[in-house]
Amino acid sequence: MIGALLVAAACAALLALGARLPTAVRRWTSPLCVAGLACASWHLACVLTNTPVFPTPTRSFAAIIELGRTPRLWQDVTASLFRVTWGFGLAAAIGIPVGLWIGWSTRAFEALNPIVQFLRPISPIAWIPISILWFGLGDVSAGFLILIASIFPILVGTTAAVQNIPQVYVRSAANFGLEGFDLFRRIVLPAAMPQIITSLRIALGVAWLVIVAAEMVGMRSGLGYLVSDARNMGNRYDLVVAAMIMIGLIGIVLDVLIRRLQEFDEVRWGFAKR
Amino acid sequence: MNSAQAKPKVVFEAVSKDFERRGEALRVLDPIELVVREGEFVCLLGPSGCGKSTLLNIAGGFEAPSAGRVLIDGEAVSGPSPQRVFVFQEYGIFPWASVWDNVSLGLRHLPKDQIYATTQQTIDLVGLTGFEKSYPMELSGGMKQRVGVARALAVSPDVIFMDEPFGALDSLTRLTMRAELIRIWQTRKPTILFVTHDVDESIQLADRVVVFSPRPGRIAGVVEVALPHPRDLGSNEYGQIKNELYELLGVKHAI
Repeated sequence: MIGALLVAAACAALLALGARLPTAVRRWTSPLCVAGLACASWHLACVLTNTPVFPTPTRSFAAIIELGRTPRLWQDVTASLFRVTWGFGLAAAIGIPVGLWIGWSTRAFEALNPIVQFLRPISPIAWIPISILWFGLGDVSAGFLILIASIFPILVGTTAAVQNIPQVYVRSAANFGLEGFDLFRRIVLPAAMPQIITSLRIALGVAWLVIVAAEMVGMRSGLGYLVSDARNMGNRYDLVVAAMIMIGLIGIVLDVLIRRLQEFDEVRWGFAKR
Repeated sequence: MNSAQAKPKVVFEAVSKDFERRGEALRVLDPIELVVREGEFVCLLGPSGCGKSTLLNIAGGFEAPSAGRVLIDGEAVSGPSPQRVFVFQEYGIFPWASVWDNVSLGLRHLPKDQIYATTQQTIDLVGLTGFEKSYPMELSGGMKQRVGVARALAVSPDVIFMDEPFGALDSLTRLTMRAELIRIWQTRKPTILFVTHDVDESIQLADRVVVFSPRPGRIAGVVEVALPHPRDLGSNEYGQIKNELYELLGVKHAI
């Protein structure tokens, strides 16, 4: 208890000091201090309520280390990443070309946009029974659910990206006689690319978000499975929270990785510098 | 220069334009008759909303006239063509492409060594040597517009349409860009139609200034600027032409 209070005080002090710290330092200390404060409050809440089941932060992190000692954690992480990679990859492989087409062709938009908007609000969780019916229990089902979850941000984002291409670019292209594939490769795709990257970023977040639901289709591995499995095997809430923390941390890593796409010379113009 | 003897290049034959708004036809341009001769620099001057940009878009082939037609070299304009290049106010160049790739855009069909030579030559001409690999976001407003001009010049067009190309620049950069444009025009001698709402800009640049009156756009008058370049902004003739233009625009010169 005293330890938690000390951590909270130290973090609060460091946050208050924030304005005087160099930006490079503050960029690391501020988020870490917020995390420290959150952990301290979490710990205090556990101690004050005297909860018998809810794990303290120390116990949760200990659970991560416990898992890390066995091959289990890494198997779960790679299993989840594998499913997300191909669910998301397929979503991008279908969503980007179809989105480009719907965005470019008024007739395709008229015909297809209503059904896209109809399917979009249906939660991936609602697809679980159908997914099991179609693909059985296994990786294909999990991948399908991730595909369902992440294709709509890509589809809608890519469509909007093409529709928002300024007229002046299209006119310039027409002026220099660009048409067909040349027009597509040199104008439409690069002009839409920043917004496509943003939609990929959102979609990857969603893909990772639904990993827990996706692994409810009878998976025997994965971080999502770990969450439900830990609860089933004798209320190991410390493992539940450990899995949640791992999902969150990997989510940050995925976002950092996909944000790298924004740094290419060809798309930097689309991302405002502050 | 005997522009009066040069052959007609761009001919507007009773070109008018109506826009549909809530089921009603809104007249933007009354029938316009205008002949621009080969190698001539003509400014279309008028307040915003007078239809001068619409007229330029029709000539460029981006919009169809409601009636009448535009002839270039005796042929009716039916769409855009690399022979007649448009320079837009801003954002006309592609931010995802380097200066080099922007300028060489219209040269795709040429052999490689020719693309290389023409691109470099045009970049040198507009004074962007050394910035070939830069991206537009790394350039100043004036330099971006030089890229736009270079991209147009690279294809050696007969006609260049410019829609307030220097409108977004600060006034000092604008002066430099005008001088540069005149230098380039004198080197290449394309026919230029230049839309502006800046009276000084039109006198500094044009052989003839076509003044538009607003809504619906009509030609209020055409003023010949028979001054040699570089033009002295303080000369009496300059002042007289300026007065004449202000009068045609219906604006008091002294405020």
